[in-house]
Amino acid sequence: MLQILIYGAVSSAIYAMLAVGFTLIFGVARILNLAHGSFYALGAYAAYVLTSLLGVPLFLAAPIAVLLVAGFGVVMERFLVRSLRASQLAVLMITLAVSLAVEQALFITFGSEYRNVPSFVADKLSIGGVDISGQRLLALVAGVLVLLLLWLFIQRTRLGAAILAVSQDPEAAQYMGIPTNRIFSIVMAISAGTAALAGVLVSPFLTVQPTMGLLPMVKAFAIVIVGGLGSIPGSIIASLILGYSETMVAYLISSSWTELVSLVAVVITLMIRPSGILGRRAAF
Amino acid sequence: MRSISPIDIAGGIVLVAILALAPMLVASNYLTGVLTVCAIYGIWASSWDFMSGLTGRENFGHSLFIGAGAYTAGFLSNIWSTSPWISLPLGVVIAIAFSLLVGFPTLRLRGPYFALAMLSASAILQRLCLIFWEYTGGEEGLYGLDPLIKSPLHYYWFVLGILVVTVIVLTLLAQSHWGLLLRAIRGDEATCQAAGINVTFYKIASLMISAGFAGLGGALYAHYQLQVSPPLFSVVVSITVIIMVYVGGIGSIYGAAVAAILLTLLTEMLRGFGEYRLWIYTLTLMLILFFLPNGLIAPLWRRMTERLR
Amino acid sequence: MTVLLEVDGVTKRFGGLTAVKNATFTLQKGEFTGILGPNGAGKTTLFNILTGFMQPTSGTIRFNGEPVRELAPYKVVNRGMARTFQLTRPFLGMNLLENVLVACMSPRASEDKDKEARASYLLGQVGLGGRDKEPVETLPYGDLRRLEIARALATRPDLLLLDEPFAGLGSGEIEQLAQLIRRLHREENLTILLIEHKLREFMALVSRVIAMNFGEIIAVGPPEEIVKNPKVIEAYIGKTEAEHASA
Repeated sequence: MLQILIYGAVSSAIYAMLAVGFTLIFGVARILNLAHGSFYALGAYAAYVLTSLLGVPLFLAAPIAVLLVAGFGVVMERFLVRSLRASQLAVLMITLAVSLAVEQALFITFGSEYRNVPSFVADKLSIGGVDISGQRLLALVAGVLVLLLLWLFIQRTRLGAAILAVSQDPEAAQYMGIPTNRIFSIVMAISAGTAALAGVLVSPFLTVQPTMGLLPMVKAFAIVIVGGLGSIPGSIIASLILGYSETMVAYLISSSWTELVSLVAVVITLMIRPSGILGRRAAF
Repeated sequence: MRSISPIDIAGGIVLVAILALAPMLVASNYLTGVLTVCAIYGIWASSWDFMSGLTGRENFGHSLFIGAGAYTAGFLSNIWSTSPWISLPLGVVIAIAFSLLVGFPTLRLRGPYFALAMLSASAILQRLCLIFWEYTGGEEGLYGLDPLIKSPLHYYWFVLGILVVTVIVLTLLAQSHWGLLLRAIRGDEATCQAAGINVTFYKIASLMISAGFAGLGGALYAHYQLQVSPPLFSVVVSITVIIMVYVGGIGSIYGAAVAAILLTLLTEMLRGFGEYRLWIYTLTLMLILFFLPNGLIAPLWRRMTERLR
Repeated sequence: MTVLLEVDGVTKRFGGLTAVKNATFTLQKGEFTGILGPNGAGKTTLFNILTGFMQPTSGTIRFNGEPVRELAPYKVVNRGMARTFQLTRPFLGMNLLENVLVACMSPRASEDKDKEARASYLLGQVGLGGRDKEPVETLPYGDLRRLEIARALATRPDLLLLDEPFAGLGSGEIEQLAQLIRRLHREENLTILLIEHKLREFMALVSRVIAMNFGEIIAVGPPEEIVKNPKVIEAYIGKTEAEHASA
């Protein structure tokens, strides 16, 4: 029972990091970014390349990886997505294409064998009789910290206020002198960065292979739909719901059913309450 | 744009003749096999175009219907040992059943959400195939299906014939008042309601038709490959079909079929590039989205034959 | 005189805002009635409710004796109530004929076997004859309004609801459109309910006026009386002027 509680928390934290980034870029720029999973995978692979191939120490590799992927996200948004923003379907397609292209590129470069990334924290800890690796705990703590920092950033800083303004009405924000295009880039960087950070944090204990971004993408998407597109609190609530549901399904039924949880959650949400738990915009 | 002139019919006849005769000029089972797959992709692409191309409701989960038809053939052939000829009508029926099941709740959703709901549905099916591996053969799927027609050449001509029938039927529907209504639904649903049109009925009906032909193609594919496996339900199949339709020119139906044939041939010729193939596909999609949103094949054909109309 | 439309106690609340309050009136067959009121009076909301695009919070609506409250918009149209929109939304990418043809495909129009001919005829009826193949994108505002009317007529309505057909038109166009509407009322035996807030044209067309303000019906009567009604004047101009008028 305590095991479910702790492992569920770790899952939820990782999912929350992914989901919040996804919902952020949608809430602000109305971009449904299907390449979000690629940022996650690229983060993990960047950590791998930096540590195992280039011998960079871990505590440096992490921020470098995050920055690199954030840059990739900004470039993708600027050159591939921005001109298609008028059509949500076109954005869906181009980001889906990018995700497939990234997956293929990783496969071509690294092959399909699993890669290893050393842990940041090698020890195992014991909490209330439950063994948990230090790395997983680090992921949980880092995830919660990042989300807190993001929340404070948006609520307390001027830049955060600008982001909120753009998410409510990009045109009006522009008339007030807010450089909306630059805001899009900044939000994209945050979105890609958090996804990459999630990838970096899980790379020591989850398998690093070219298709690793697909399932997390599906889950992030599921969380965001269930929580409500554009709502950060909604994403966090839904991350908890999905994270714990998956952990319980894995313990009580079988781990191969876990993917179904998110997929079924999406379909049910879209059928019953398309705007999600806390969403503002309905899906129809 | 919405009329079929004699020049289109002539062009079609010439193309079909070339396709039918090609394997006789280059006597090779390999070519016959490739062309069979080309024709099947043509069926999948034109069926997608009929629904999504006309109504603008892009379906990102077309592989759901393809896989449904294919696995129906697989089950019938392997587990119940029925005659392979039953696979075709039953594949159609099962695919249509899926379209009703998934279509009813999802068609009222706005564009991107419908697309993603369909994507999720096909992903769920793919997952279910793996979970219930005792019945579905898991990752390897079902193999050892009975072929429909033993001679590869004759089977190819059969499939080609079905492609021709598919394109003709779908084109006639698209040109008819039905097609007009589907295009109107794309334009403005509220205005359609004000015009007294039962929008939901037409959306579901067109999805059912699209699904039926996709399932038919799936069953044909199963009896060509003589095996079925979960990747048939994947997003890669769905997006390949969408790319083909975009290259062909959305809404033209024949454009989708021609593009499917050409792109499948191209993929075969690029076989030497191995893992780069999917990459080339996705790059193609990006190029089309940016520079040729109206597609390549249909606009090109119309421009070439302008003076003859 | 038969009663065509009975509206009883129709109310629409959006959260804290009451857009329509207790609307009650009837329409007799063959009448030409107008709904008058300043912006925000609830006129278009009422139209949306009557035609099924919105559900009322409470109240009943009977058309030809049958309740129509829960019906989807297309079903309402097929019972015989057609409407035009204030912001015309034609089917882009199609020509004029095709735009009308869509409506000819409705179940109510199924007796018309040659649909192209009927669509063409209707275009002629509204003054767009001979322009069947023109793309709809090139049409000026006034002609778009005529197209809307043609499309509404295609469903063979008993009651035609026109939502501010004169909005955005110049005086010449208004006059022509008014003539068209008058002619249709006479020749096609249509019952018409019209929303407009351009007073002059409005008064010349309608035989009865329903005046609304802040979601409520404040007065009903022939145009000459309504113009002198103090509540109506107050709604449009203000309280002191209203007192002047009745003094």
